[in-house]
Amino acid sequence: MTPTKPLTQRLPMLLAGAATFLTLAATAQAADPIKIGVPVGLSGANSVVAPSVVQAAQLAVDEINAAGGVLGRPLALEVADDASGAAGAQKAFDSLIFQKKVNVLISMETSAARNAALPIVTRGKTPYIYTSFYEGKSCSHYMYVNAWVPEQQVPPIVDYFAKEKQAKTYFLIGSDYAFGRGMLGFTKAYIEKIGGKVVGEEYLPMDGSDWTPILSKLKSAAPDALITSTAGGAPNVTLTKQLRAAGLNLPYGNLAVDEGTAKGMGGDAAGIYLSASYLTGIDSPANKTFLAAMGKKFGTDLKTPNDLSVPEYEAVYAYKEAVTKAGTTEESAVLKLLGDIAVNGPRGSIKMNVEHHAPLTMYLGQVQADGSVQVISTFPNVDPGPQCPNLKS
Amino acid sequence: MITLGLDIVSTAAILFIVSAGLLIVFGVMKIVNFAHGAFITLGAYAALIASQLGLPAIFGPFVAFAAGIAAGGLIEAAIVRRLYARPLDAILATWGLGIVIGQLITLAFGREVQFVPTPISGTLAVLGEGYSVYRLLLVGAALLLGAVFAGLLGGTRLGLATRAVIMNEELAQGLGIDSTKVRLLTFGIGAGLAAIAGALVTPLSSVDPNMGIPWLINAFMLVMVSGGSLVTLALSCIVLGGLQVAASTFVSPILGGLTIAVVAAIALRLRPEGFARG
Repeated sequence: MTPTKPLTQRLPMLLAGAATFLTLAATAQAADPIKIGVPVGLSGANSVVAPSVVQAAQLAVDEINAAGGVLGRPLALEVADDASGAAGAQKAFDSLIFQKKVNVLISMETSAARNAALPIVTRGKTPYIYTSFYEGKSCSHYMYVNAWVPEQQVPPIVDYFAKEKQAKTYFLIGSDYAFGRGMLGFTKAYIEKIGGKVVGEEYLPMDGSDWTPILSKLKSAAPDALITSTAGGAPNVTLTKQLRAAGLNLPYGNLAVDEGTAKGMGGDAAGIYLSASYLTGIDSPANKTFLAAMGKKFGTDLKTPNDLSVPEYEAVYAYKEAVTKAGTTEESAVLKLLGDIAVNGPRGSIKMNVEHHAPLTMYLGQVQADGSVQVISTFPNVDPGPQCPNLKS
Repeated sequence: MITLGLDIVSTAAILFIVSAGLLIVFGVMKIVNFAHGAFITLGAYAALIASQLGLPAIFGPFVAFAAGIAAGGLIEAAIVRRLYARPLDAILATWGLGIVIGQLITLAFGREVQFVPTPISGTLAVLGEGYSVYRLLLVGAALLLGAVFAGLLGGTRLGLATRAVIMNEELAQGLGIDSTKVRLLTFGIGAGLAAIAGALVTPLSSVDPNMGIPWLINAFMLVMVSGGSLVTLALSCIVLGGLQVAASTFVSPILGGLTIAVVAAIALRLRPEGFARG
């Protein structure tokens, strides 16, 4: 017969065993991160801004992980190239949702890419925070938007041109896709509402680079002001360069230029008016902390934070807040809370509580000769207006 | 009206610059070099490097030409040389080559759009209309390229040998002309011209790894319609470029983007051999 040891003698071993088991369990959970899918245009028209978006997401994830993660689990990024278009987006979303099994999608994309991807998001029932400004009225139970829509962005520029520049006639130029046409459609209606006149409205395909005939028409129409809404990146650059080469120097409002692109264009961008919910020059402690953290993390590789990258940063925090409050990553619970939580970020306090969209503080800025953007005026808490009245919760 | 005329002339000039290199290769070798677009991109990046090194803008096209001729020569000796007897395979091989070059450029420079500053900005008064100086400069560049080209083919020993190879390669070889060397040089010069085109158009557009592709389609159509001579190429550029500008101006720029491809397809249906003599 084997002598049985009394319990008191076995206890330390049992405890050690239990502790090992618990540690193993914890390690297993630590190795099981919450996955954030970031489908973004690393190639194609959006390639100018995409790296800055990825950097912003990386900073948010690193900060959250350094502070202990979410529900004890770390966050992990899954970045996929959507090639800035519909076909690429379908592939990127499909692989992120069904193969990588991400818990949430947080990204900026072209409207073409977003529209192509939304049915896949619905099929996968994955929460999706869209962080790009866009033409508005894109509604899905699974999608929240923390960036601006035309109702928030266009009025500052048009009002400024009408009041300060006495502009009565306007010429509109855009890229031929949902964002270009949507933005200019709204702009046209708004100009006519305040008593102005649109003397021309022209579009070029997204991959087009020869604006010559359009610029000749612009010249002969001789409007008081020009408002453009191209795809970000290459079309913006080619249009501005050719505009300047053609010697056109009228008040020029650009609905789709970001600070980084403006800087890259050098002297050609000087004088452009833009309206944004984020400019690096925002004078707030949160923005200064954010910029310092970005500078420290990326050093010389830093891509200038902008109106497309900062919402990405804040959206990662919004997701963190929603998951923390829900106590789970379960989709329906998170989706319910995404419209309730407020995030304090570089753009201020933001809550996506208006039909899945967010009231935002807007800034009217002008590009200076050195490429920096000077804030001309501020419009606090601009409401996005009715974007998705038919959306239940 | 004056602006429209200038638009047509300068658009034709740009098209001519972009398709001249393709024409040379097609004319001498009877193969279509689908890596042409990649050589255009290569030239644009060469100009980008030149401008980042702080060289004056005038050096851009020369740096691009050197890069293009080097890359073109290497590729001819390594790959294209084996495919002269198989023109259809050559199309596939050069198309693949274009993808490879594009990816190598992506690896080296990243996918993002980059910028070359415009060397000359501002406008010049032409018949009372202010017009972009740079576009006018491109008209001059196109004329210069055309003249140098015609002089090279018509007035030099190399041109004579090249024309001999074009007419009857076996006979030329029998006369002691090294047709391998002629082909190597021609392909190299064709690639170099594509690279010059890349360097010249970048100040008007942006630089990215796929920038050459849209140009390739138009250049291909123009070369097919022209049938292989410089003069008819210039004519096709003016006619098709003019139609493109007219469609963009009077109908819509979206339609304008399709004009060259559509008109070229119709023209080739009517006259499959192109519009060159003989």
